[in-house]
Amino acid sequence: MKTLVVYPNKELLYAASTLGGEITALVFSQKEAEALAGKAHRILVAEIDPKSPDAVAEAVIKAFPGHDLVMLPSTKNARTVGGLIAQRLGAEFLTDVLSLRAEGGVIKAERYVFGNKAVATVEAQLPAVVSIALGRFQGEPPTVQSIVERVEEVAIAPKVKILSVEEKPRGAVKLEEAEIIVSVGRGFKKKEDLQMAFELAKVLGGQVGCSRPIAADLKWLPEEHWVGLSGKKVKPKLYLAIGISGQPQHIAGILDSRIIAAINNDPSAPIFQNADYGVVEDLYKIVPILINKISKLKAK
Amino acid sequence: MKVAVLVKTALDTGQLRVRDTVVIEETPFKISDIDRNAIEEAVKLKGQDKAYGVTVVKWGPLQKKIQEAENVLREALAMGLDEVYLVVDEKLLNASHTATAKAIAAVIKKVGADIVLAGEATVDNFTGQIPARVAAELGWPVVTYVRELKIEGGRVVAKRDLEDHVEVVEAPLPVVVSVTREINQPRIPTLLAIRAAMKKPINKLTLADLGIDITPKISASYRPLVIQRKKIIIKDGTPEEKAEKLIQYLRQEGVI
Repeated sequence: MKTLVVYPNKELLYAASTLGGEITALVFSQKEAEALAGKAHRILVAEIDPKSPDAVAEAVIKAFPGHDLVMLPSTKNARTVGGLIAQRLGAEFLTDVLSLRAEGGVIKAERYVFGNKAVATVEAQLPAVVSIALGRFQGEPPTVQSIVERVEEVAIAPKVKILSVEEKPRGAVKLEEAEIIVSVGRGFKKKEDLQMAFELAKVLGGQVGCSRPIAADLKWLPEEHWVGLSGKKVKPKLYLAIGISGQPQHIAGILDSRIIAAINNDPSAPIFQNADYGVVEDLYKIVPILINKISKLKAK
Repeated sequence: MKVAVLVKTALDTGQLRVRDTVVIEETPFKISDIDRNAIEEAVKLKGQDKAYGVTVVKWGPLQKKIQEAENVLREALAMGLDEVYLVVDEKLLNASHTATAKAIAAVIKKVGADIVLAGEATVDNFTGQIPARVAAELGWPVVTYVRELKIEGGRVVAKRDLEDHVEVVEAPLPVVVSVTREINQPRIPTLLAIRAAMKKPINKLTLADLGIDITPKISASYRPLVIQRKKIIIKDGTPEEKAEKLIQYLRQEGVI
């Protein structure tokens, strides 16, 4: 097995190492190559703009001969690169895989499908392309001898030109790493009322998350708070959903939470089917009580 | 502006039929949600020209699913598409993504388009790879995850919504663009539009009609994901009592 890892990070290199064989890492600057020394058998440097899926796809196509598998992270640009190269290689592209193994020229992977209501076991012939679901492959890649080479003459006239880049406003929110998340949904009537959730999160020592409408439609919170299929996928020990109905896209983002608790005044809200503990109650009545009781508890 | 929209007749994951395994044959079709945004954008962009939908039936049994797909596509027509192309062929059932993209690209080559629009991903498989594959197959540029789109003098200018930044990019026509839900608010067809849609053409094509042959199939099996949640519901008592009860449970679990 010879795996070409694009946009390499620790998780990808570890995932690639579980398949055995040789690992090539494709990077986009000399600096990146130096940081990766000892972590891949070959390090290929293509000096192109990593932000351009066009250009990255060209570099991958150029570097691919002699490899069996391309491995990518599950980012939007990597997914675009994966689609482009898979079609050109006539290969399957297995996205967001949860597990991975190779036997006799075939790659086998599991992934969530059908709104995360089922797990598919998918098989594809090598060569193939895979992207790795975030946080699923935890381990240390073994230390190896690295050779650094350059990829020459990548056709670098991307058809899509980047005119400007604007960073999204980022606060101190790191939902992916949070142990406790208090998440808010349409059950809150005004933006100001979210203050209650922030207070509750504070007494619990957690962060505030939200469902899609709060971030995308109402824009009451920046998108970094958004939990779900198109937002963040989280894995806290406690996910407390307040006033969230529990659309499948939201549930998809919280599957890996250890305990899910939900507060909603509608007893038929789908969130209750996906929760360990559900409280049928008006959030405006119960949240202040929770803040009060929990802060007393913590003060002890 | 001649526009092609990739409309996926996707499995309705809200109505997934599950026994020991997922029974795909019995799970109904619906328009993949995000494709509605692509349809809406197409209707806005087309101007005096035409916008048509392209769909590939990937699940069987074929006869039953063709009928279902036609019903679903009437919705896309009611939203304002002028006609749809439905590619049906035994060989496309469980076809690889490579084969699916080839079939879609073949329709676009046959009918022609200045721009191909698609949803960022489909609700059933959510792999989000088809727009890039179709672009690669056509040799066109692709702009993915677009939340704002303008056409100016033979090129598109688009805002791409990525994880932690937004990019403004430009690309020449013809181009493939995938959109996010944020790009627009899809219209709800009026009764009149629904009636008119009954008269619009649904063109059925086989691989032979498209002059292509496809062999690779993928092997996949599906098992329902059993979410083992305790589902303990606290619904009796005063808010005070309910709060107390919840705290008790969460302390027992050791999470607070």
